[in-house]
Amino acid sequence: MADWEPNLRSKGLQSQNKKPIMLQGHERAITQIKYNREGDLLFSSSKDNKPNVWYSLNGERLGTFNGHQGVVWCIDVDWTTTKFMSGAGDNTCKLWDCETGKEIGNITTASSVRTCMFSYSANMAVYTTDTAMKQHCEMFIIDTRTIDDSIGHQVPILRIPIKGPKVSSILWDNLDEMVITGHENGEITQWDLKTGKQLNSVREHDNLINDMQWNKDGTMFITASKDHTAKLFDAEDLMLLKTYKTERPVNSAAISPILEHVVVGGGQDAMDVTTTSTRVGKFDSRFFHMIFEEEFGRVKGHFGPINSVAFHPDGKSYSSGGEDGYVRIHTFDSSYFEYNFDY
Amino acid sequence: MPAAEEVKSSWADEVELEGGSLPPSTEIYENGYKIVTEYKYNEDDKKIKIVRTYKIEKRIVSKSIALRKTWKKFGECANDKPGPNPATTIVAEDVYMQYITSKEEDNKQEDEGLDKLKALGDKNVVKCRTCNGDHWTSKCPWRDTMLAGGKVPDDKKAPAVSGAAPGGDTGKPGGSKYVPPSMRDGGVKRTDGPNMTRRDDSYSAIRIANLSDSTTETDLEDLVKPFGPIQKLYLAKDKQTGLCKGFAYIHFKFRNDAAKAISILNGYGYDHLILSVDWSKPLTSSNQ
Repeated sequence: MADWEPNLRSKGLQSQNKKPIMLQGHERAITQIKYNREGDLLFSSSKDNKPNVWYSLNGERLGTFNGHQGVVWCIDVDWTTTKFMSGAGDNTCKLWDCETGKEIGNITTASSVRTCMFSYSANMAVYTTDTAMKQHCEMFIIDTRTIDDSIGHQVPILRIPIKGPKVSSILWDNLDEMVITGHENGEITQWDLKTGKQLNSVREHDNLINDMQWNKDGTMFITASKDHTAKLFDAEDLMLLKTYKTERPVNSAAISPILEHVVVGGGQDAMDVTTTSTRVGKFDSRFFHMIFEEEFGRVKGHFGPINSVAFHPDGKSYSSGGEDGYVRIHTFDSSYFEYNFDY
Repeated sequence: MPAAEEVKSSWADEVELEGGSLPPSTEIYENGYKIVTEYKYNEDDKKIKIVRTYKIEKRIVSKSIALRKTWKKFGECANDKPGPNPATTIVAEDVYMQYITSKEEDNKQEDEGLDKLKALGDKNVVKCRTCNGDHWTSKCPWRDTMLAGGKVPDDKKAPAVSGAAPGGDTGKPGGSKYVPPSMRDGGVKRTDGPNMTRRDDSYSAIRIANLSDSTTETDLEDLVKPFGPIQKLYLAKDKQTGLCKGFAYIHFKFRNDAAKAISILNGYGYDHLILSVDWSKPLTSSNQ
């Protein structure tokens, strides 16, 4: 607890760094966390039904988005931080007003919504549904310029049925012309939105792709896969650039916006946690050098697998959300910035 | 109708009540700090006072961020006061990034060791009592001939049944003797046992003794950080109370940083005690 004690000690040096902040707003495992563009707000969703939004600086909770009735799998916020979107296991995809937390749009789907994302301009958004209940996985592109009650009946701009394995993660490219999907079997596919056709597809992973995140300028993206690796791809031609190997399934990976660092979060499957070794260290956030593919540091904190990691857009802190239901905001200390990779 | 509120409770109840009621919580704003005082009962029904101090900071941010800072709270926290709610926002213990400097990673070593051991196990663990071959005694091809108690002629000695692991034994002195797993080739020296051999990094490790029992890892970190990058920091703590046992080990990344720390910190007055700092001795010598 934050008990205050008078600082009477003759300490060698006053600590300059900030302590980590633990955000305890969820009752169940965190599914995704995301910063807004400026990084002052941090959005989090979990397997309980209320996505939360926090001030990233002091960990104060701004609000909760109440309305879903099932697991919230995915969230996204547009670049102006006015609209917020969430997809859930109750077969709905909802759009919210960021400032008031009011629901402004509700789209009912045939099965649960696994991924969702605004395009960069936020004129469009994409969401995908699961293969379940005799429904096939489908990708929907919707118009989000004006959001009101009618959005539920609106005909999507584009509707692409996904044949084969379902989509487990998604990214828009920076020019709103293309969508990149990561699939259950480790495939990565680019879709051209003008034609609705598949442009390119590679299969470098052997297992489900849990997460994909852009680097700062949108030229590369990193994937996190259940096959124990995170991989860096070129966005243009899906060329595999780098591979970061771990011993456990990787649930999320992010690229530092200021340094050549990559943070990888994972741990064994939640269902296997109790049956395998309890050795601590498997639930650490692991930092890799982006180019040398070598791990150089770890940050402890969670007592369950990490499900989502995100770098603050200024690169001076990062957050992780775990199966333990906590979101941790970790601010880097000076040693992180002074650290030089030996090679 | 007789007024019910007229009925006064007995004085004993009143005393009870008085003892039971808690002073209201207060919030004081004082030169840049917000001090929140709360009273509540802990598990033992004892009254406790919780004082939280928040530093109020002013920052210059872009307009959009400043505007968002003025947004009203909504949803579950619509009724929260300004500032972090201690129920949802917790300041956690300091954790520091642990840098991995050595090229070999602990886990990898361990896994490799296990693999080697397994490979070895297939070859050497099974040994026939009759002919010293690489098979179980019961499967020995000379079992019947041996029953008489004779010896296998040397030329006949176990040319490895059905070609299993040819040359598994050759070139390995003492391949036929039992070798405890820890002594086998595959048994990589475990680094985390109590009898561990000295780690490479321990040559830049120092031991700080005579710490006061209220020292925490954070204090220690603050104390030694100025000397240079730290690889590992261990503060001996009592299992039950969690208080410091009076000593700590610091593994520096560089030996000269460690030397500097020793020269300065040895005899340094810290928290009403005088520290004694020296190189961390290897376990074997300190045991005697």
